[in-house]
Amino acid sequence: MIFESTAKMYDVLGELFNELMKDQPLYQKFIDSDITIRFNISDPDGYIWLTRDGKVICGEADYKPTIEMTLSGDTCHKFWLQEIKMPVALAKGLIKAKGPLPKVLNLLPLIKPAYVIYPDIAKKHGIL
Amino acid sequence: MSYLELNLDLTDEQLMLRDNIRKFALEVMRPTAMKLDQMTPEEVIAPDSIFWDCMKQAYKLGLHKILIPEEYGGLGLSPIEVHMVVEEMGYGSSDIAIALGVSCFPAFLASMVPTDELINNIIVPYCEDTEAKIMGCWAITEPDHGSDSLAPGTAQFKDPNIYGQCRARLEGDEWVINGQKAAWVSMGTAATHAMVYLTIDPSMGFAGGGICLVPLDLPGVSRGKPLNKLGQRALNQGEIYFDNVRVPYEYMLVDQESYEAILDITLATANAYVAAVFTGVARSAYEEALNYARQRVQGGKPLVEHQHVRYKLFHMFKTVEACRALSRAAMVYNLSTSPPATEYSIASKVFCTDAAFQVAHEAIQIFGGNGLAKEYAIEKIFRDARAGMIEDGSNDSLALFASERLI
Repeated sequence: MIFESTAKMYDVLGELFNELMKDQPLYQKFIDSDITIRFNISDPDGYIWLTRDGKVICGEADYKPTIEMTLSGDTCHKFWLQEIKMPVALAKGLIKAKGPLPKVLNLLPLIKPAYVIYPDIAKKHGIL
Repeated sequence: MSYLELNLDLTDEQLMLRDNIRKFALEVMRPTAMKLDQMTPEEVIAPDSIFWDCMKQAYKLGLHKILIPEEYGGLGLSPIEVHMVVEEMGYGSSDIAIALGVSCFPAFLASMVPTDELINNIIVPYCEDTEAKIMGCWAITEPDHGSDSLAPGTAQFKDPNIYGQCRARLEGDEWVINGQKAAWVSMGTAATHAMVYLTIDPSMGFAGGGICLVPLDLPGVSRGKPLNKLGQRALNQGEIYFDNVRVPYEYMLVDQESYEAILDITLATANAYVAAVFTGVARSAYEEALNYARQRVQGGKPLVEHQHVRYKLFHMFKTVEACRALSRAAMVYNLSTSPPATEYSIASKVFCTDAAFQVAHEAIQIFGGNGLAKEYAIEKIFRDARAGMIEDGSNDSLALFASERLI
Protein backbone atom coordinates (compact mmCIF):
# COMPACT_ATOMS: atom_id res chain seq x y z
CA MET A 1 0.00 0.00 0.00
CA ILE A 2 1.59 3.27 -1.11
CA PHE A 3 -0.32 5.34 1.46
CA GLU A 4 0.47 3.90 4.89
CA SER A 5 -2.64 5.41 6.46
CA THR A 6 -5.80 7.31 5.60
CA ALA A 7 -4.27 10.41 7.19
CA LYS A 8 -1.23 10.15 4.89
CA MET A 9 -3.47 9.73 1.86
CA TYR A 10 -5.50 12.77 2.84
CA ASP A 11 -2.26 14.77 3.25
CA VAL A 12 -1.00 13.87 -0.23
CA LEU A 13 -4.19 13.86 -2.28
CA GLY A 14 -5.67 16.74 -0.30
CA GLU A 15 -2.63 18.82 -1.19
CA LEU A 16 -2.89 17.77 -4.83
CA PHE A 17 -6.52 18.86 -5.16
CA ASN A 18 -6.05 22.05 -3.13
CA GLU A 19 -3.15 23.04 -5.39
CA LEU A 20 -5.27 22.34 -8.46
CA MET A 21 -8.06 24.54 -7.16
CA LYS A 22 -5.56 27.41 -6.85
CA ASP A 23 -5.16 27.30 -10.64
CA GLN A 24 -7.68 30.00 -11.57
CA PRO A 25 -8.64 28.80 -15.10
CA LEU A 26 -8.97 25.22 -13.88
CA TYR A 27 -10.93 26.32 -10.81
CA GLN A 28 -13.30 28.29 -13.03
CA LYS A 29 -13.78 25.33 -15.39
CA PHE A 30 -14.59 23.13 -12.44
CA ILE A 31 -17.08 25.63 -11.03
CA ASP A 32 -18.68 25.97 -14.47
CA SER A 33 -19.05 22.21 -14.73
CA ASP A 34 -21.38 22.35 -11.70
CA ILE A 35 -20.54 18.91 -10.37
CA THR A 36 -19.61 17.33 -7.07
CA ILE A 37 -17.18 14.41 -7.26
CA ARG A 38 -16.66 11.84 -4.55
CA PHE A 39 -13.63 9.57 -4.68
CA ASN A 40 -14.39 6.38 -2.79
CA ILE A 41 -10.92 5.12 -1.94
CA SER A 42 -9.90 1.75 -0.52
CA ASP A 43 -6.56 0.58 0.96
CA PRO A 44 -6.49 2.81 2.92
CA ASP A 45 -10.18 3.56 3.15
CA GLY A 46 -11.33 7.15 2.79
CA TYR A 47 -13.32 9.69 0.81
CA ILE A 48 -12.22 12.82 -0.98
CA TRP A 49 -14.78 15.32 -2.21
CA LEU A 50 -14.53 18.05 -4.78
CA THR A 51 -17.70 20.04 -4.30
CA ARG A 52 -19.51 22.11 -6.89
CA ASP A 53 -18.42 25.29 -5.07
CA GLY A 54 -14.76 24.31 -5.38
CA LYS A 55 -14.10 22.97 -1.89
CA VAL A 56 -11.78 20.01 -1.28
CA ILE A 57 -12.97 17.86 1.62
CA CYS A 58 -11.14 14.81 2.92
CA GLY A 59 -13.40 12.42 4.83
CA GLU A 60 -17.15 11.98 5.23
CA ALA A 61 -19.34 14.87 4.10
CA ASP A 62 -23.00 15.46 3.48
CA TYR A 63 -23.16 16.25 -0.23
CA LYS A 64 -24.88 14.49 -3.11
CA PRO A 65 -22.20 13.44 -5.61
CA THR A 66 -22.77 13.94 -9.33
CA ILE A 67 -19.89 11.59 -10.10
CA GLU A 68 -18.38 8.84 -7.98
CA MET A 69 -15.00 7.33 -8.74
CA THR A 70 -14.22 4.14 -6.84
CA LEU A 71 -10.58 3.07 -6.74
CA SER A 72 -7.72 2.05 -4.46
CA GLY A 73 -5.07 4.33 -3.02
CA ASP A 74 -2.42 2.57 -5.12
CA THR A 75 -4.44 3.14 -8.31
CA CYS A 76 -4.77 6.83 -7.38
CA HIS A 77 -1.01 7.11 -7.02
CA LYS A 78 -0.25 5.29 -10.27
CA PHE A 79 -2.93 7.23 -12.14
CA TRP A 80 -1.52 10.65 -11.19
CA LEU A 81 1.98 9.43 -12.06
CA GLN A 82 0.59 8.42 -15.48
CA GLU A 83 1.69 4.86 -14.87
CA ILE A 84 -1.83 3.73 -15.66
CA LYS A 85 -4.18 5.09 -18.32
CA MET A 86 -7.89 5.63 -17.81
CA PRO A 87 -8.98 3.02 -20.41
CA VAL A 88 -6.67 0.44 -18.88
CA ALA A 89 -7.86 1.28 -15.38
CA LEU A 90 -11.46 0.88 -16.53
CA ALA A 91 -10.56 -2.25 -18.45
CA LYS A 92 -9.06 -3.91 -15.43
CA GLY A 93 -11.80 -2.70 -13.14
CA LEU A 94 -9.26 -0.64 -11.20
CA ILE A 95 -11.48 2.43 -11.50
CA LYS A 96 -15.25 2.29 -11.43
CA ALA A 97 -17.08 5.44 -12.47
CA LYS A 98 -20.67 6.37 -11.75
CA GLY A 99 -22.18 9.51 -13.19
CA PRO A 100 -23.30 10.94 -16.54
CA LEU A 101 -20.68 9.99 -19.13
CA PRO A 102 -20.37 13.46 -20.74
CA LYS A 103 -19.65 14.97 -17.33
CA VAL A 104 -17.03 12.31 -16.61
CA LEU A 105 -15.41 12.93 -20.02
CA ASN A 106 -15.54 16.67 -19.40
CA LEU A 107 -13.21 16.14 -16.47
CA LEU A 108 -10.42 14.52 -18.44
CA PRO A 109 -8.85 17.77 -19.73
CA LEU A 110 -8.89 19.10 -16.17
CA ILE A 111 -6.66 16.23 -15.08
CA LYS A 112 -3.62 17.37 -17.07
CA PRO A 113 -2.27 19.94 -14.57
CA ALA A 114 -2.43 17.26 -11.88
CA TYR A 115 -0.02 15.12 -13.89
CA VAL A 116 2.44 17.99 -13.78
CA ILE A 117 2.33 18.72 -10.05
CA TYR A 118 1.73 15.29 -8.55
CA PRO A 119 5.30 13.89 -8.84
CA ASP A 120 6.66 16.81 -6.78
CA ILE A 121 3.95 16.40 -4.16
CA ALA A 122 4.61 12.65 -3.99
CA LYS A 123 8.36 13.27 -3.59
CA LYS A 124 7.74 15.85 -0.87
CA HIS A 125 5.75 13.28 1.08
CA GLY A 126 8.36 10.58 0.58
CA ILE A 127 6.31 8.21 -1.56
CA LEU A 128 8.27 8.66 -4.78
CA MET B 1 -47.96 12.59 -32.62
CA SER B 2 -46.64 12.67 -29.12
CA TYR B 3 -46.86 10.11 -26.35
CA LEU B 4 -47.70 10.46 -22.68
CA GLU B 5 -44.41 11.17 -20.94
CA LEU B 6 -44.39 8.94 -17.87
CA ASN B 7 -41.28 10.49 -16.37
CA LEU B 8 -42.59 13.35 -14.26
CA ASP B 9 -39.09 14.59 -13.42
CA LEU B 10 -38.29 15.88 -16.90
CA THR B 11 -37.95 19.65 -17.21
CA ASP B 12 -39.74 21.90 -19.68
CA GLU B 13 -36.40 22.40 -21.46
CA GLN B 14 -35.96 18.66 -21.89
CA LEU B 15 -39.46 18.29 -23.29
CA MET B 16 -38.84 21.21 -25.62
CA LEU B 17 -35.62 19.57 -26.82
CA ARG B 18 -37.56 16.38 -27.58
CA ASP B 19 -40.29 18.28 -29.42
CA ASN B 20 -37.79 20.24 -31.54
CA ILE B 21 -36.03 17.05 -32.62
CA ARG B 22 -39.37 15.40 -33.36
CA LYS B 23 -40.25 18.29 -35.66
CA PHE B 24 -36.94 17.87 -37.49
CA ALA B 25 -37.44 14.11 -37.63
CA LEU B 26 -40.88 14.41 -39.19
CA GLU B 27 -40.32 17.39 -41.44
CA VAL B 28 -36.80 16.66 -42.67
CA MET B 29 -35.48 13.21 -41.79
CA ARG B 30 -38.44 11.07 -42.80
CA PRO B 31 -39.26 12.75 -46.13
CA THR B 32 -35.57 12.76 -47.04
CA ALA B 33 -35.19 9.08 -46.19
CA MET B 34 -38.34 8.20 -48.17
CA LYS B 35 -36.85 9.84 -51.26
CA LEU B 36 -33.40 8.32 -50.74
CA ASP B 37 -35.03 4.92 -50.36
CA GLN B 38 -35.98 5.06 -54.05
CA MET B 39 -32.47 5.92 -55.22
CA THR B 40 -29.51 3.73 -56.07
CA PRO B 41 -26.82 3.43 -53.35
CA GLU B 42 -24.52 5.56 -55.52
CA GLU B 43 -27.15 8.28 -55.91
CA VAL B 44 -27.71 8.36 -52.13
CA ILE B 45 -24.21 9.69 -51.49
CA ALA B 46 -23.66 11.63 -54.71
CA PRO B 47 -22.39 15.17 -54.04
CA ASP B 48 -25.72 16.73 -54.99
CA SER B 49 -27.80 14.21 -53.02
CA ILE B 50 -30.47 15.41 -50.61
CA PHE B 51 -28.73 13.16 -48.08
CA TRP B 52 -26.11 15.86 -47.58
CA ASP B 53 -28.74 18.61 -47.24
CA CYS B 54 -30.34 16.59 -44.45
CA MET B 55 -27.00 15.92 -42.77
CA LYS B 56 -26.07 19.60 -42.92
CA GLN B 57 -29.30 20.51 -41.16
CA ALA B 58 -28.70 17.79 -38.58
CA TYR B 59 -25.14 19.02 -37.98
CA LYS B 60 -26.40 22.59 -37.56
CA LEU B 61 -28.72 21.28 -34.84
CA GLY B 62 -25.75 19.51 -33.24
CA LEU B 63 -27.22 16.03 -33.68
CA HIS B 64 -23.79 14.65 -34.65
CA LYS B 65 -22.26 15.60 -31.29
CA ILE B 66 -24.83 14.65 -28.68
CA LEU B 67 -22.32 12.34 -26.93
CA ILE B 68 -19.32 14.70 -27.08
CA PRO B 69 -18.52 16.68 -23.90
CA GLU B 70 -19.31 20.38 -23.83
CA GLU B 71 -15.64 21.04 -23.11
CA TYR B 72 -14.88 20.50 -26.80
CA GLY B 73 -18.05 22.05 -28.21
CA GLY B 74 -20.25 18.96 -27.98
CA LEU B 75 -23.80 19.08 -26.69
CA GLY B 76 -22.90 17.00 -23.65
CA LEU B 77 -26.48 15.84 -23.23
CA SER B 78 -27.40 13.87 -20.13
CA PRO B 79 -28.06 10.15 -20.68
CA ILE B 80 -31.84 10.53 -20.58
CA GLU B 81 -31.67 13.45 -23.01
CA VAL B 82 -29.55 11.34 -25.35
CA HIS B 83 -32.25 8.68 -25.27
CA MET B 84 -35.05 11.16 -25.94
CA VAL B 85 -33.20 12.69 -28.89
CA VAL B 86 -32.19 9.34 -30.40
CA GLU B 87 -35.72 7.93 -30.11
CA GLU B 88 -37.03 10.94 -32.02
CA MET B 89 -34.37 10.52 -34.70
CA GLY B 90 -35.31 6.85 -35.05
CA TYR B 91 -38.95 7.91 -35.24
CA GLY B 92 -38.03 10.06 -38.22
CA SER B 93 -35.75 7.60 -39.99
CA SER B 94 -33.62 4.78 -38.61
CA ASP B 95 -31.14 4.98 -41.48
CA ILE B 96 -30.28 8.64 -41.00
CA ALA B 97 -30.31 8.24 -37.20
CA ILE B 98 -27.70 5.50 -37.52
CA ALA B 99 -25.61 7.55 -39.97
CA LEU B 100 -25.48 10.30 -37.34
CA GLY B 101 -24.67 7.79 -34.61
CA VAL B 102 -21.68 6.27 -36.35
CA SER B 103 -20.48 9.67 -37.47
CA CYS B 104 -19.46 10.57 -33.93
CA PHE B 105 -17.46 7.38 -33.30
CA PRO B 106 -13.94 8.79 -33.94
CA ALA B 107 -14.49 12.00 -31.97
CA PHE B 108 -16.35 10.23 -29.17
CA LEU B 109 -13.63 7.60 -28.68
CA ALA B 110 -10.98 10.31 -28.92
CA SER B 111 -12.74 12.24 -26.14
CA MET B 112 -12.11 9.25 -23.87
CA VAL B 113 -8.34 9.62 -24.32
CA PRO B 114 -7.97 13.32 -25.14
CA THR B 115 -4.46 14.37 -26.14
CA ASP B 116 -3.78 17.86 -27.50
CA GLU B 117 -3.32 16.36 -30.97
CA LEU B 118 -6.68 14.60 -30.84
CA ILE B 119 -8.48 17.57 -29.31
CA ASN B 120 -7.15 20.05 -31.87
CA ASN B 121 -7.23 17.90 -34.99
CA ILE B 122 -10.14 15.55 -34.43
CA ILE B 123 -12.58 16.45 -31.67
CA VAL B 124 -12.88 20.24 -31.94
CA PRO B 125 -13.06 20.38 -35.77
CA TYR B 126 -15.76 17.71 -35.67
CA CYS B 127 -17.78 19.65 -33.12
CA GLU B 128 -17.38 22.89 -35.05
CA ASP B 129 -18.52 21.30 -38.33
CA THR B 130 -21.93 22.56 -39.44
CA GLU B 131 -21.62 21.43 -43.04
CA ALA B 132 -21.31 17.67 -42.53
CA LYS B 133 -17.82 17.76 -44.01
CA ILE B 134 -16.41 15.49 -41.30
CA MET B 135 -18.15 12.15 -40.90
CA GLY B 136 -16.98 9.13 -38.99
CA CYS B 137 -17.72 5.44 -39.23
CA TRP B 138 -17.33 2.33 -37.06
CA ALA B 139 -15.15 -0.09 -39.03
CA ILE B 140 -15.27 -3.40 -37.19
CA THR B 141 -17.12 -5.89 -39.41
CA GLU B 142 -14.95 -7.97 -41.78
CA PRO B 143 -15.68 -10.36 -44.67
CA ASP B 144 -15.14 -13.40 -42.41
CA HIS B 145 -16.15 -11.83 -39.11
CA GLY B 146 -19.43 -10.18 -38.21
CA SER B 147 -21.23 -10.71 -34.95
CA ASP B 148 -18.44 -12.96 -33.64
CA SER B 149 -16.24 -9.90 -33.26
CA LEU B 150 -18.77 -8.48 -30.76
CA ALA B 151 -18.34 -11.06 -28.02
CA PRO B 152 -16.10 -9.52 -25.35
CA GLY B 153 -16.14 -11.49 -22.13
CA THR B 154 -16.72 -14.87 -23.79
CA ALA B 155 -14.21 -17.72 -24.01
CA GLN B 156 -14.20 -17.65 -27.81
CA PHE B 157 -13.07 -14.02 -27.76
CA LYS B 158 -9.69 -15.19 -26.45
CA ASP B 159 -9.39 -18.22 -28.74
CA PRO B 160 -6.04 -17.75 -30.58
CA ASN B 161 -7.48 -19.55 -33.59
CA ILE B 162 -10.08 -16.84 -34.20
CA TYR B 163 -8.98 -13.28 -34.89
CA GLY B 164 -9.68 -10.41 -37.23
CA GLN B 165 -8.04 -10.15 -40.65
CA CYS B 166 -7.43 -6.41 -40.60
CA ARG B 167 -4.02 -6.12 -38.91
CA ALA B 168 -1.80 -3.38 -37.50
CA ARG B 169 1.93 -3.59 -36.82
CA LEU B 170 4.13 -0.98 -35.20
CA GLU B 171 6.98 0.40 -37.32
CA GLY B 172 8.93 3.14 -35.55
CA ASP B 173 6.44 5.77 -34.48
CA GLU B 174 3.74 4.70 -36.91
CA TRP B 175 1.19 1.94 -37.14
CA VAL B 176 0.93 0.19 -40.48
CA ILE B 177 -2.50 -1.19 -41.31
CA ASN B 178 -3.37 -3.86 -43.85
CA GLY B 179 -6.61 -5.66 -44.54
CA GLN B 180 -10.25 -5.15 -45.36
CA LYS B 181 -13.43 -4.17 -43.60
CA ALA B 182 -16.67 -5.64 -44.91
CA ALA B 183 -19.47 -4.13 -46.94
CA TRP B 184 -21.50 -3.61 -43.77
CA VAL B 185 -19.48 -0.67 -42.45
CA SER B 186 -22.11 2.04 -42.00
CA MET B 187 -21.01 5.20 -43.86
CA GLY B 188 -18.04 3.10 -45.03
CA THR B 189 -17.79 4.61 -48.50
CA ALA B 190 -18.73 8.16 -47.50
CA ALA B 191 -17.02 8.83 -44.15
CA THR B 192 -13.91 10.99 -43.79
CA HIS B 193 -12.62 9.21 -40.68
CA ALA B 194 -12.90 5.67 -39.38
CA MET B 195 -12.64 4.15 -35.96
CA VAL B 196 -11.00 0.93 -37.04
CA TYR B 197 -11.18 -2.08 -34.73
CA LEU B 198 -8.29 -4.28 -35.83
CA THR B 199 -5.88 -7.00 -34.73
CA ILE B 200 -2.54 -6.21 -33.12
CA ASP B 201 -1.66 -9.52 -31.45
CA PRO B 202 -3.43 -12.51 -33.08
CA SER B 203 -2.08 -14.91 -30.45
CA MET B 204 -4.67 -13.38 -28.08
CA GLY B 205 -7.54 -14.01 -30.50
CA PHE B 206 -10.00 -11.15 -30.83
CA ALA B 207 -8.82 -9.90 -27.43
CA GLY B 208 -5.52 -8.93 -29.06
CA GLY B 209 -7.19 -6.05 -30.85
CA GLY B 210 -6.71 -2.34 -31.02
CA ILE B 211 -8.81 0.68 -31.89
CA CYS B 212 -7.21 3.08 -34.35
CA LEU B 213 -8.49 6.40 -35.59
CA VAL B 214 -7.79 6.53 -39.32
CA PRO B 215 -8.31 9.61 -41.50
CA LEU B 216 -9.64 8.04 -44.68
CA ASP B 217 -7.72 10.35 -47.00
CA LEU B 218 -4.42 8.68 -46.10
CA PRO B 219 -2.44 6.94 -48.88
CA GLY B 220 -3.39 3.27 -49.14
CA VAL B 221 -7.07 3.66 -48.20
CA SER B 222 -9.62 2.70 -50.81
CA ARG B 223 -13.36 2.05 -50.74
CA GLY B 224 -15.72 -0.49 -52.20
CA LYS B 225 -19.00 0.03 -53.97
CA PRO B 226 -21.93 1.28 -51.89
CA LEU B 227 -24.05 -1.70 -50.87
CA ASN B 228 -27.48 -2.25 -52.39
CA LYS B 229 -29.78 -3.65 -49.73
CA LEU B 230 -33.32 -4.36 -48.60
CA GLY B 231 -33.72 -1.89 -45.73
CA GLN B 232 -32.18 1.29 -44.37
CA ARG B 233 -31.31 2.24 -47.91
CA ALA B 234 -30.60 5.85 -46.93
CA LEU B 235 -27.72 4.56 -44.80
CA ASN B 236 -24.59 4.19 -46.89
CA GLN B 237 -22.66 0.97 -46.30
CA GLY B 238 -19.58 -0.42 -47.99
CA GLU B 239 -16.07 -1.84 -47.75
CA ILE B 240 -12.89 -0.05 -46.72
CA TYR B 241 -9.50 -1.44 -47.81
CA PHE B 242 -6.19 -0.71 -46.12
CA ASP B 243 -2.97 -1.25 -48.07
CA ASN B 244 0.07 -0.33 -45.94
CA VAL B 245 -1.75 2.64 -44.46
CA ARG B 246 0.57 4.49 -42.08
CA VAL B 247 -1.04 6.12 -39.07
CA PRO B 248 0.65 8.21 -36.32
CA TYR B 249 1.40 6.23 -33.16
CA GLU B 250 -1.00 8.14 -30.93
CA TYR B 251 -3.95 7.48 -33.22
CA MET B 252 -4.04 3.94 -31.85
CA LEU B 253 -6.35 5.01 -29.04
CA VAL B 254 -6.63 1.58 -27.46
CA ASP B 255 -4.23 -1.34 -27.68
CA GLN B 256 -4.52 -4.99 -26.72
CA GLU B 257 -4.08 -4.22 -23.03
CA SER B 258 -7.58 -2.78 -22.80
CA TYR B 259 -9.20 -3.68 -26.14
CA GLU B 260 -11.68 -6.18 -24.72
CA ALA B 261 -12.98 -3.77 -22.07
CA ILE B 262 -13.24 -0.81 -24.41
CA LEU B 263 -15.05 -2.97 -26.96
CA ASP B 264 -17.44 -3.87 -24.14
CA ILE B 265 -18.07 -0.17 -23.50
CA THR B 266 -18.48 0.38 -27.26
CA LEU B 267 -21.00 -2.44 -27.49
CA ALA B 268 -22.91 -1.21 -24.44
CA THR B 269 -23.14 2.28 -25.94
CA ALA B 270 -23.90 1.22 -29.52
CA ASN B 271 -26.56 -1.34 -28.56
CA ALA B 272 -28.22 1.18 -26.24
CA TYR B 273 -28.24 3.69 -29.11
CA VAL B 274 -29.77 1.18 -31.54
CA ALA B 275 -32.41 0.24 -28.95
CA ALA B 276 -33.45 3.89 -28.66
CA VAL B 277 -33.54 4.23 -32.47
CA PHE B 278 -35.83 1.21 -32.79
CA THR B 279 -38.06 2.39 -29.99
CA GLY B 280 -38.67 5.31 -32.35
CA VAL B 281 -39.13 2.93 -35.29
CA ALA B 282 -41.70 0.88 -33.36
CA ARG B 283 -43.52 4.07 -32.40
CA SER B 284 -43.57 5.29 -36.00
CA ALA B 285 -45.06 1.97 -37.16
CA TYR B 286 -47.70 2.07 -34.43
CA GLU B 287 -48.66 5.66 -35.21
CA GLU B 288 -48.82 5.01 -38.95
CA ALA B 289 -51.19 2.12 -38.26
CA LEU B 290 -53.30 4.10 -35.79
CA ASN B 291 -53.69 7.06 -38.15
CA TYR B 292 -54.53 4.81 -41.07
CA ALA B 293 -57.05 2.82 -39.03
CA ARG B 294 -58.82 6.02 -38.01
CA GLN B 295 -59.38 6.97 -41.64
CA ARG B 296 -59.71 3.74 -43.56
CA VAL B 297 -63.29 2.52 -43.82
CA GLN B 298 -64.07 -1.17 -44.25
CA GLY B 299 -67.37 -2.91 -43.64
CA GLY B 300 -69.08 0.46 -43.35
CA LYS B 301 -67.00 1.85 -40.47
CA PRO B 302 -63.43 2.98 -39.76
CA LEU B 303 -60.96 0.20 -38.99
CA VAL B 304 -60.55 1.48 -35.43
CA GLU B 305 -64.17 0.57 -34.77
CA HIS B 306 -63.45 -3.05 -35.54
CA GLN B 307 -62.70 -4.85 -32.30
CA HIS B 308 -59.88 -6.98 -33.68
CA VAL B 309 -58.03 -3.95 -35.07
CA ARG B 310 -58.34 -2.15 -31.72
CA TYR B 311 -56.98 -5.25 -30.01
CA LYS B 312 -53.96 -5.23 -32.33
CA LEU B 313 -53.42 -1.49 -31.81
CA PHE B 314 -53.45 -1.90 -28.04
CA HIS B 315 -50.75 -4.57 -28.17
CA MET B 316 -48.67 -2.40 -30.51
CA PHE B 317 -49.02 0.53 -28.09
CA LYS B 318 -48.05 -1.68 -25.14
CA THR B 319 -44.99 -2.93 -26.99
CA VAL B 320 -43.79 0.59 -27.83
CA GLU B 321 -44.11 1.63 -24.18
CA ALA B 322 -42.15 -1.46 -23.08
CA CYS B 323 -39.43 -0.60 -25.61
CA ARG B 324 -39.09 2.90 -24.20
CA ALA B 325 -39.04 1.73 -20.60
CA LEU B 326 -36.30 -0.85 -21.15
CA SER B 327 -34.17 1.09 -23.61
CA ARG B 328 -34.23 4.27 -21.53
CA ALA B 329 -33.33 2.44 -18.35
CA ALA B 330 -30.49 0.54 -20.02
CA MET B 331 -29.09 3.65 -21.70
CA VAL B 332 -29.30 5.83 -18.59
CA TYR B 333 -27.57 3.15 -16.50
CA ASN B 334 -24.85 2.34 -19.01
CA LEU B 335 -24.07 5.95 -19.90
CA SER B 336 -23.70 6.59 -16.17
CA THR B 337 -21.64 3.59 -15.09
CA SER B 338 -18.21 2.26 -16.01
CA PRO B 339 -17.74 -0.61 -16.51
CA PRO B 340 -21.25 -0.95 -17.98
CA ALA B 341 -23.77 -3.74 -17.50
CA THR B 342 -23.60 -4.61 -21.19
CA GLU B 343 -26.18 -7.39 -20.96
CA TYR B 344 -28.81 -4.72 -20.35
CA SER B 345 -27.85 -2.79 -23.50
CA ILE B 346 -27.92 -6.06 -25.44
CA ALA B 347 -31.29 -6.97 -23.93
CA SER B 348 -32.70 -3.60 -24.94
CA LYS B 349 -31.26 -3.84 -28.47
CA VAL B 350 -32.60 -7.34 -29.05
CA PHE B 351 -35.97 -6.53 -27.49
CA CYS B 352 -36.51 -3.22 -29.29
CA THR B 353 -35.44 -4.39 -32.74
CA ASP B 354 -37.53 -7.57 -32.47
CA ALA B 355 -40.43 -5.47 -31.21
CA ALA B 356 -40.08 -2.85 -33.95
CA PHE B 357 -40.25 -5.58 -36.58
CA GLN B 358 -43.30 -7.15 -34.91
CA VAL B 359 -45.10 -3.81 -34.62
CA ALA B 360 -44.25 -2.96 -38.25
CA HIS B 361 -45.51 -6.40 -39.29
CA GLU B 362 -48.83 -5.83 -37.51
CA ALA B 363 -49.04 -2.36 -39.01
CA ILE B 364 -48.67 -3.76 -42.54
CA GLN B 365 -51.50 -6.18 -41.76
CA ILE B 366 -53.74 -3.29 -40.69
CA PHE B 367 -52.84 -1.38 -43.85
CA GLY B 368 -53.72 -4.41 -45.94
CA GLY B 369 -52.67 -4.09 -49.58
CA ASN B 370 -51.71 -0.45 -49.11
CA GLY B 371 -49.05 -1.56 -46.64
CA LEU B 372 -47.18 -3.16 -49.53
CA ALA B 373 -47.20 0.03 -51.60
CA LYS B 374 -44.19 2.31 -51.67
CA GLU B 375 -46.31 5.44 -51.37
CA TYR B 376 -46.90 4.62 -47.70
CA ALA B 377 -44.11 5.07 -45.16
CA ILE B 378 -44.97 1.82 -43.40
CA GLU B 379 -43.56 -0.20 -46.32
CA LYS B 380 -40.13 1.35 -45.74
CA ILE B 381 -40.41 1.22 -41.96
CA PHE B 382 -41.06 -2.54 -42.20
CA ARG B 383 -37.93 -3.13 -44.31
CA ASP B 384 -35.86 -0.86 -42.06
CA ALA B 385 -37.04 -2.73 -38.98
CA ARG B 386 -35.93 -6.04 -40.46
CA ALA B 387 -32.40 -4.73 -40.89
CA GLY B 388 -32.30 -3.74 -37.23
CA MET B 389 -32.42 -7.38 -36.14
CA ILE B 390 -29.07 -7.98 -37.83
CA GLU B 391 -27.08 -4.74 -37.58
CA ASP B 392 -24.87 -4.00 -34.58
CA GLY B 393 -24.67 -7.74 -33.94
CA SER B 394 -27.34 -10.21 -35.02
CA ASN B 395 -29.94 -10.65 -32.31
CA ASP B 396 -29.31 -14.39 -32.11
CA SER B 397 -25.57 -14.01 -31.50
CA LEU B 398 -25.98 -11.09 -29.11
CA ALA B 399 -28.46 -13.06 -27.02
CA LEU B 400 -26.02 -15.97 -26.77
CA PHE B 401 -23.12 -13.70 -25.81
CA ALA B 402 -25.19 -11.88 -23.20
CA SER B 403 -26.50 -15.14 -21.78
CA GLU B 404 -22.95 -15.99 -20.66
CA ARG B 405 -23.14 -13.01 -18.31
CA LEU B 406 -26.24 -14.40 -16.63
CA ILE B 407 -24.96 -17.79 -15.57
